[in-house]
Amino acid sequence: MTTRRDLIAGAGLAALAAQLSGRALAQAQTLASGKDSVVIAMTLEPPTLDPTSGAAQAIREVTLQNIYEGLVRMDRTGRIVPGLAESWEVAADNLVHSFRLRSGVRFHDGAPFSAETVRFSFERAVAPDSTNAQRQIFAPIASIATPDPLTVVITLKQPTANFLYGLAWGDAVIVSPATAAANRTNPVGTGPFRFVRWNRGDRLELARFDDYWGPKPALARATFRFISDPQAQVASLLAGDVDAQTNLAAPEAVPQLRASPRLSVSFGKTEGEVILATNNGRPPFDDLRVRQAIAHVLDRKTIALGVYGFNVDLIGSHFSPLHPAYVDLTNTYAVDLARAKALLAQAGHPNGFSCTLKLPPPAYARRSGEIIAALLGQIGINARIEQLEFPQWLERVFRGRDFDLSVIAHTEPLDIGNYARDDYYFQYRNPEFRALIAKIETTLPEAERNALYREAQRVLARDAVNGYLFVLPKITVTAAGLSGMWTDWPLPITPLAEVAWR
Amino acid sequence: MLRLFGGRLASCVVTLAASALIIFLMLEVLPGDPAAVTLGLNAAPEALAALRAEMGLDRPAPLRFLAWIGGLITGDLGLSYTYRVPVSQLIGERMAVTAPLALAAMLLACAIGVPLGVVAAANHNGPLDLAAMAFAQIGLAIPNFWFGLLLVLVFAIGLGWLPSGGFPGWQAGFWPGARSLLLPAVALALPQAAILARLTRSAMLDALQEDFVRTARAKGLASRTLLYRHALRNALIPVVTILGLQFSVLIAGAIIIENVFALPGLGRLVFQSVAQHDLIVVKDLVMLFAALAILANFAVDLLYGLIDPRLRRRA
Amino acid sequence: MNAPAAIASARRPRWWTGPSFLIGAALSGLVVLIALLSLVWTPHPPTQLAILNRLKPPSAGNWFGTDPFGRDVFSMIMVGARNSLLVGLGAVGLGLVAGTGLGLLAAVRRDGLIDNLVMRMADFTHAFPAVLTAIMMAAIHGPGILNAVIAIGVLNLPYFARLARGAALQVWTRDFVQAARAAGLTDWRITWAHVLPNIAGVLVVQATIQFALAVLAEAGLSYLGLGAQPPAPSWGRMLNEAQTFMAVQPWLAIFPGAAIALSVLGFNLLGDGLRDAIDPRLRRVR
Repeated sequence: MTTRRDLIAGAGLAALAAQLSGRALAQAQTLASGKDSVVIAMTLEPPTLDPTSGAAQAIREVTLQNIYEGLVRMDRTGRIVPGLAESWEVAADNLVHSFRLRSGVRFHDGAPFSAETVRFSFERAVAPDSTNAQRQIFAPIASIATPDPLTVVITLKQPTANFLYGLAWGDAVIVSPATAAANRTNPVGTGPFRFVRWNRGDRLELARFDDYWGPKPALARATFRFISDPQAQVASLLAGDVDAQTNLAAPEAVPQLRASPRLSVSFGKTEGEVILATNNGRPPFDDLRVRQAIAHVLDRKTIALGVYGFNVDLIGSHFSPLHPAYVDLTNTYAVDLARAKALLAQAGHPNGFSCTLKLPPPAYARRSGEIIAALLGQIGINARIEQLEFPQWLERVFRGRDFDLSVIAHTEPLDIGNYARDDYYFQYRNPEFRALIAKIETTLPEAERNALYREAQRVLARDAVNGYLFVLPKITVTAAGLSGMWTDWPLPITPLAEVAWR
Repeated sequence: MLRLFGGRLASCVVTLAASALIIFLMLEVLPGDPAAVTLGLNAAPEALAALRAEMGLDRPAPLRFLAWIGGLITGDLGLSYTYRVPVSQLIGERMAVTAPLALAAMLLACAIGVPLGVVAAANHNGPLDLAAMAFAQIGLAIPNFWFGLLLVLVFAIGLGWLPSGGFPGWQAGFWPGARSLLLPAVALALPQAAILARLTRSAMLDALQEDFVRTARAKGLASRTLLYRHALRNALIPVVTILGLQFSVLIAGAIIIENVFALPGLGRLVFQSVAQHDLIVVKDLVMLFAALAILANFAVDLLYGLIDPRLRRRA
Repeated sequence: MNAPAAIASARRPRWWTGPSFLIGAALSGLVVLIALLSLVWTPHPPTQLAILNRLKPPSAGNWFGTDPFGRDVFSMIMVGARNSLLVGLGAVGLGLVAGTGLGLLAAVRRDGLIDNLVMRMADFTHAFPAVLTAIMMAAIHGPGILNAVIAIGVLNLPYFARLARGAALQVWTRDFVQAARAAGLTDWRITWAHVLPNIAGVLVVQATIQFALAVLAEAGLSYLGLGAQPPAPSWGRMLNEAQTFMAVQPWLAIFPGAAIALSVLGFNLLGDGLRDAIDPRLRRVR
């Protein structure tokens, strides 16, 4: 079998070296300052602690790269780096992936990690009774072979460019057969931190795992606190009750927090594209001119300012600026009321029309929605706001496709491929685009693939499939002296092994 | 007496059963699939089906109703869809916030309302009466959640004495926990204190006209203190009754106040459960609130029967 | 209440009745006036956004300042009055009409069935505070002004039913009703022509007080997001939105709350005043 090192793996190894030295540095710093525990606040509480049986981001934020690890992992710049697999090779046919596993890895309960555990985890994810939320990660797998305890050979059905990318997600973490069933409430993984205790509605405690295979983390103990109330988040930061907030829910309090010498605030990017979801399958939104008219009135700057009070990254297509293939398309349809009215008139709605705007609960959606309704009113589109709880939004908008307009953030990384799904809730049907995505999935060289991603972004922007607004910002607040917190979110997680006190 | 008890008990049971049916039916027609909420935007249909089976959602509705009722009777409240732990455990944890909060608010309301009512009655139509009743009017008019916000503005943001919200948990110690409940309890107590002040005042005025007080007065028990002690003892009967009846008002208040102060109590749990479509928790909680209110009503009815023989005959 | 007390209070000057009624009437009148005025005039269009003018403190241009979208808070409060009054009218109207109907029916039949029904309904509504009903209804239909009206209205129903029944039974014992009956009028004719006019006063008093409660309940529901939907301004929702800005822009939380408190105070005082005017014996009670 002729093999060659994959580009990704090569890049990964370089990144690993950088990261390892970063971790060692963190450790040295903490030894100097003596403080080895941290309290980190986050907005949402995870419903369970098993990322392989629920889609909630909060599960991943607490557990991924802390309690659980996958074969590969994503670093803070969004690159794929080795995890439980220390290296891998992809055959020339782009189908056979051989993973070389680390030796001496143990689960928190002492159970050994081996190729069999990997096979168990992946087979469990696609089993008939599996409740894995992202089965499609594993869909391309044709077979899993374990020639020896430290080698896993995965053969795919067809070349799949983002296969490794998916293995870095929380849905693909490696779990132990003995403890997998109880992971929801008593998680056991191979990560640098083990689960200690969870007081629901309040906090969750982790402790350093002493038999960890990698470098010893600087922190001995870490506590996640769940504070959903924006005012309480600010108060606890100012009072010093917490050392960091992973993503502040009170953007209006930023000036107040900045004024405190004890705190530092940084704005980062995420993979969360906030869009004005538009039902392309329902008149009048099936008419390109109507969607273009809407695009011409969506003043992104005003919307973002009204929601956050400061400037955030604006987008003109369904792609995050975090990705190297990002192109700025925010000027595809510049704000132009006269042009918008003309387009509406051409489409047969000279006096506008009435429609609904269904909004899920997050503040970014509710606030954006109110501003958008007012903006649309300028060209005679009367968008009646309906506020929905998230389950109702899922049922009516997402599953039932019973909506005209909605505002939602698509937080999964690199999810532009959803536009190739004819049945997806905004019902965009473009065979050309579908072909483009299929091509991307089988194009492995990164430069070529990125060129295709750019093309895909342009198609979506031109077709004004949805209104593209802005990227959810990550507002990280940390106590002075605390280093290593992720400030961008290529994946919304908080790896504690990189956090240390100076 | 037995017939009264039997009759009241029967109607109490009927009301409970009807409540259970109404709650179940209302939540049954709710759109939305709890499994879809757990698994999110990209879930495969097979995964959804598997989770639905695991949650017991694939059984017919009448069966699920019976299973739920049976569980309620045997004390098994089921497993939360969201958290995957027994609902009774969730309720137990949240009760540790709501019960002290409600109790503190109740005590505070009594401590303010009853003396105020007595003073008002003692100075009937005097300036103190006017002041007390003006206070009561204002207490009734101010929404408790707004009062909560004002308290936060003054004591948390302005003076920095108390936390503006959240709850550190009792394991952090008694004082940190109690500090977090202080402002919410005050906010919750205000309208209750106003109601109690008005009620105590009118009950006192009534009691002062009763025969035995006049007898006592005739006997030479001229001391105002003794007089009011006599009257107060009798005035307390309706006051205690109202306290029982005000229970559901207190619960309603707690739902709002816990949201104002971000307290992890039962009121917030019911709100979150609706948001997450954790219907089993919603059902259990609404039933719990309803049952508590119905039982409080039942107790008050019985108490009345014991106190007032005329009611006994009517029943 | 016994005779000496009634005589005692009747003999006293009515200094308590006067101010209560006057202040109440003035405040309620003001709220109604503002609501009506908002139909034709507000200082600024209440739903017009001006993002660059966001979060301004009170000034000559914006008397109560502006919200995060740059909207004029004073104009929003004016329009919000409309919302509160509308929900109050709807909820009390629902309780008044349906409750009185049931109560009169119970009084005509004089059997235990409707009586029992009303009592059980009262138990029910006591067991389900408006917030719980509204939460469940919002989960089904999505939140909205109609849900708020129904949730609060249902709560009102038993109050009116009990009151109407009690008052109607008293009227039925009166001579002129018995005379009408002897003259061959049907029970329903008598109810319509004689009973209803005689109990109207009591009902109006109760309605005013329930109105105050309804305004308060509506504020609570819209604070929780269960009432009127944006962009229609509502006092409760304004408070909710103000909460995260409290450390920096406290006036956003102060003005809408004051508007709620003053309206409730107004209708409560008006109710008390009316009660005293219609039935002086009840003055002390409540």
